[in-house]
Amino acid sequence: MTDQSAPLPRDEFFDDAEPLTLGQRISSKAVAPWLFLSPMLAFGVIFFILPILFAAYISLTKWNSLTSPRFIGLKNYEYLLTVDPKFWDTFWNTIYFAAGTLTIGIPLALVLAYAFTRAYGQAFWRSIYWLPMITNVVAVAYIWKFLLDDSFGLVNMALGKLGLPGPGWLTDPNFAMLSVILVFVWMQLGHNMLLFSAGLANIDESYYEAARLDGAGETQLFLRITVPLLKPTILFVLITNFITGLSYFTLMLVLTEGGPVGSTNVTALYMYKMAFEDLRMGRASAVAYILFAFILVVTLIQLRIFRRGGVEAH
Amino acid sequence: MTTTSHRRTALVAALLASSALAAPAQAADKTITIATHYNQEQMAPLLACFDQYEAENPGTEIVFQQASYRDFLQTIMTARVGGTSPDIYNIYSIWAPQLADAGTLAEPPADIAEFVNANYGEGTVGAATINGTLYGIPTELSVYQLFYNKKILAEAGYDAPPATWDELAEIAAKVTKKNDQGNITVAGYTYGPSVANAVHVFYSQMFAAGVAPYSDDFRKTNFLDPEAIRIVERQGKLFADGSTSNSVTTDDFAANGAAMAIMANWQKSSMMDAFGDEFENTVGIAPIPHDGGDPGTMLYSFFWAVDSASKHPEESWALLEWLNSQRDGGLSCTGQMLNDLGALTGNLGDLEAMETDDSFTKPFVDAIESGAAKSQPNIWQASENDRILRSYIEKVWAGQMSAEDALSAADAEVTAILAEQDY
Repeated sequence: MTDQSAPLPRDEFFDDAEPLTLGQRISSKAVAPWLFLSPMLAFGVIFFILPILFAAYISLTKWNSLTSPRFIGLKNYEYLLTVDPKFWDTFWNTIYFAAGTLTIGIPLALVLAYAFTRAYGQAFWRSIYWLPMITNVVAVAYIWKFLLDDSFGLVNMALGKLGLPGPGWLTDPNFAMLSVILVFVWMQLGHNMLLFSAGLANIDESYYEAARLDGAGETQLFLRITVPLLKPTILFVLITNFITGLSYFTLMLVLTEGGPVGSTNVTALYMYKMAFEDLRMGRASAVAYILFAFILVVTLIQLRIFRRGGVEAH
Repeated sequence: MTTTSHRRTALVAALLASSALAAPAQAADKTITIATHYNQEQMAPLLACFDQYEAENPGTEIVFQQASYRDFLQTIMTARVGGTSPDIYNIYSIWAPQLADAGTLAEPPADIAEFVNANYGEGTVGAATINGTLYGIPTELSVYQLFYNKKILAEAGYDAPPATWDELAEIAAKVTKKNDQGNITVAGYTYGPSVANAVHVFYSQMFAAGVAPYSDDFRKTNFLDPEAIRIVERQGKLFADGSTSNSVTTDDFAANGAAMAIMANWQKSSMMDAFGDEFENTVGIAPIPHDGGDPGTMLYSFFWAVDSASKHPEESWALLEWLNSQRDGGLSCTGQMLNDLGALTGNLGDLEAMETDDSFTKPFVDAIESGAAKSQPNIWQASENDRILRSYIEKVWAGQMSAEDALSAADAEVTAILAEQDY
């Protein structure tokens, strides 16, 4: 005879437990998080991972999107890197554009953001500088086309009043890319200023007070306190601007169409025309992967350099 | 009301709603979709014809889709990938080789081919023909000729347009005006930023010189022909002389900012808008300047084509024949639309019915009827090849390459692409 009141062994206890309902299973800690994440995961898989994998496959094929892709191995990459007379030209144009926008745009945004932290009406100035960001790029391009017209543009007319020559800002191959860079810097200035302003707001005022007590001037404050403490923001702005610069082509498409003489034909624009005008989807995908690889390498180098400089947060 | 009855009511409502949405589709047995780059306003005469056709053919519904010229090929491509391609397209002839090679275009039945051969000029039929196979019914034609500003030339003492390129260069140099900064305010001659602004002009000049830009089988270029090199050299000289520059474009012609340009007849309506009552007194049209021999130029064409995946190919071709047949001896529906646009057509009956005797239009029509206007070659990867050619011609304009070197480089690249069609 067994003792009915004695506790059941552990296994028998769970065997007799009432099975979980569907609702309980869904709301369990094992399932619920995945359920909530599933829309985002599905979105990511459908719109990011699958296209990336598909593009990788397509880059190994010859495909005009009207017929079935034909596998050709690495020939698209081989053609682009060793045969194509235009690819490297567009690549150097891309580097020129990206480097130019960083060289001119970031110091300018930093100095202006720093100046505006010490000015009245910060919000007003931020709004003014932000306006180009919310203006349609086609409108921006048309406005600048009028301004930079060789014979009748306001810029050259102003230079003429001063007795200076009026270059072909968008029509001379030696000036066209510089003009595109300046217009892009103008468009991006407000965005970068906003990021720097956020970074500047996080720097404790006591550092400046202490430095001033020690006799530091404004230049020293900026170079010895502001710039070092802004390194995480600078890194962020540098990386995001460089990536944008390497993959950007909208302004060139509407402002110069890559001309004159291909001087503003960047790799992304070359890729766009290759894909949607020439229907060379395979080769265009290979361009995208080469560009991606380059951006990845440059970004990793930037991260490494800044980590050595003490930016551990990134 | 119980939850069950709520669900039943919702289900019935949903079924009713879905059947109501499906009703129009069921009313039309056959829906034919037509895609063109013309907008709703430009299509007005054709849309009226669609209504008439629907009334005369109960059970047939015609749906119009517009896609911009720039995005048209991409739209076709995307629609086919998605399985929603239109039944009928109005396509630019140079897109046809790729589309035909991909099996996108249906071949017309024998009676339609007969209709086209009987009612359209030979050069026009050639524009809709790929490797000897006809793929559609020609529509809008664009022909290149020399536009000149009569008033600007007269001010400089010239009462007639240039007949040769040397004369053109001389007049261009004389009428060019510059500001204090040395920038052109009135150009003697102008090109433009588009591929066509350079390449179509080059092809037109080649035809005028009696040399086709490509071999008959479209496998080789004639870019290294001495005439071709001379043409590009002379273009470069206009830039070197300061008679033109990249800063002036064909658009400046309508603003009295350029004295001469080689352009197509579709500019007529914008010129009329720009010059108003002074149109006739200002805009002159002349053959492409050349060094003797018969005149020549280039025309390009659009044509109606039927998608090979169309569920209603017979009905689509029947509709197209109806749209392109003369009505009571007058203009066809397509002809009416083109006439309203100030455009030309390859349909001989429509051309006869159009009023083409004005001083602007006549030189273009003469070029079509005399056979002086040759069809733009329907080469493989035409857009890509034209862009490559433009890039090298630009280098000559900029003084970065000699005409011979530039055309040699263009020939090498283009010939390599033309060879792709054989493997």
